[in-house]
Amino acid sequence: MEEFETLLKGSANAHGHICSGQVIGVRMAMEGCRLIGLDTPRELPQIKKLIVYVEMDRCATDAISFVTGVRLGRRSLKFVDNGIMAATFVNLETGRAVRIVSTESARHLAKKYAPDITDKREQQLVAYKRMDLDALFHIEAVRVDVNASDMPGPTRFKAVCQKCGQVIRDKREVMKNDQILCRPCALGTYYQPVTK
Amino acid sequence: MGDNKILLPFETLTVDQAVGTPLAHDMTQIVPGKYKGPAFKKGHKITSGDVCQLMRMGKNNFYVLDLADDQVHEDDAVLELASALSGPGVTFSGSPGEGKLELNAAYPGLFKVNIQALEEFNMFQDVMCASIHTNTRVKQHQSLAATRTIPLVIHKDTLDKALDFARQQYPVFSVKLFHPLKIRLIITGEEVYKGLIKDQFQAIVEQKTTALGATVEETVILPDNREMISRQIRRYLEKDTDLIITTGGMSVDPDDVTKDGIVDSGFQEIHYSAAVLPGAMFLLGYHKNTAIMGLPACGLYHKTTIFDLILPRLMAGERPGARDLARLSHGGLCLNCKTCRFPACSFGKAG
Repeated sequence: MEEFETLLKGSANAHGHICSGQVIGVRMAMEGCRLIGLDTPRELPQIKKLIVYVEMDRCATDAISFVTGVRLGRRSLKFVDNGIMAATFVNLETGRAVRIVSTESARHLAKKYAPDITDKREQQLVAYKRMDLDALFHIEAVRVDVNASDMPGPTRFKAVCQKCGQVIRDKREVMKNDQILCRPCALGTYYQPVTK
Repeated sequence: MGDNKILLPFETLTVDQAVGTPLAHDMTQIVPGKYKGPAFKKGHKITSGDVCQLMRMGKNNFYVLDLADDQVHEDDAVLELASALSGPGVTFSGSPGEGKLELNAAYPGLFKVNIQALEEFNMFQDVMCASIHTNTRVKQHQSLAATRTIPLVIHKDTLDKALDFARQQYPVFSVKLFHPLKIRLIITGEEVYKGLIKDQFQAIVEQKTTALGATVEETVILPDNREMISRQIRRYLEKDTDLIITTGGMSVDPDDVTKDGIVDSGFQEIHYSAAVLPGAMFLLGYHKNTAIMGLPACGLYHKTTIFDLILPRLMAGERPGARDLARLSHGGLCLNCKTCRFPACSFGKAG
């Protein structure tokens, strides 16, 4: 894996700015990959062995995606909307997985690790670079059973909504009454159609 | 199922010879009473350090697989079987363990099994699938069924026959979504109405219905008065009500007038009595899109009754009728165990 500063620079470029979330995301991804035995996750063959579950859609997520190469469109990046600064790194080949949570206490330690910096945001950013991993993260070994319908690779599962005719991929269909339906037809939509 | 009479061409190596060779299948370790699972996964390269543990597990010889084009490894085959058997609401892991896959509920709901198709599927050679009972209320991620091939390697033609059948019968397994029913409740009983005793039915009904995602919109307490009960049901029918529940007054005493009140209210389809104990004096009826359940007083005493069997089916949008109530007879006797394990018991598992 490349050096931290190189990855941080690349991540900041890809994301659009540098911030403490980028630092956390890059360090989280580097440590996560190390713990599950992947050192070149963006390259073949390792790119096919990694799935990452992120639990927030903020800056750190982009950093994790940059460092590891996981992408939503590749089905290697999974978004679990928990609102927690955490990510789980899964090695599909060995089954090894770790969940890494960014500690809230790290925010309060910023002054200790970067006393030379007065600007609060800059202080956090620098402190997170210097901070011990133990202080920055809570890490635990976990087991993730990835469903066949969540696996990367060609589409294996297709169904057709019996109400609207929409093709539904990856077993996201539901059975309501005795009809196979897409989720919008069965559960409602997140949008409201605009009638002209 | 059936016998695998075709001998497959495996090369066999002793454990010493096998060092450096990838395992052809998961190696199961059993520690009596404590653990049963794969100690080594398929594809693991045997090292000299593994030899001792493998010998302790009783594994002294290993197959080396060199599959022909018409042969399918159990792990690949079981993914195909699970795909063919699993309908909406049923998921499974992408990583088979010991050649087996467990099918799980993708969301809470009512588990449905095409029983006849499942039985026929198990008549095909070299495959099997076992499930929990149909019409079981299930939680998300709950185990529903498991499938596997019998031999380590299955012939493609044999596998295809079972797959074609399962696909024709799709879905063999599915989970029906629960509707968030709007429920209105009538508690009947002179003693409760006059405040001689405190009602306990409301809490039971609310606990059981909200657990499945329904809401109790309104509750009234009425005396054993046929006219008042009937009028209240008609009022509920004028509102946005999916299900009306009455409690008590379903038996044979002169004071038991709830059934008559329901009949007077104009319900088009009414089924009174069910082949279930506890719950024989149960009433189930329908008026347009509204259902009604008349719960006998046994629901106050018994933890599990016919209410627990019919409610999930109504929640799943079904309209059980007289035949469904009769079908519950087989398995319809609750054993009143000291510690109730329902639904993990025979109660209500008509089959």
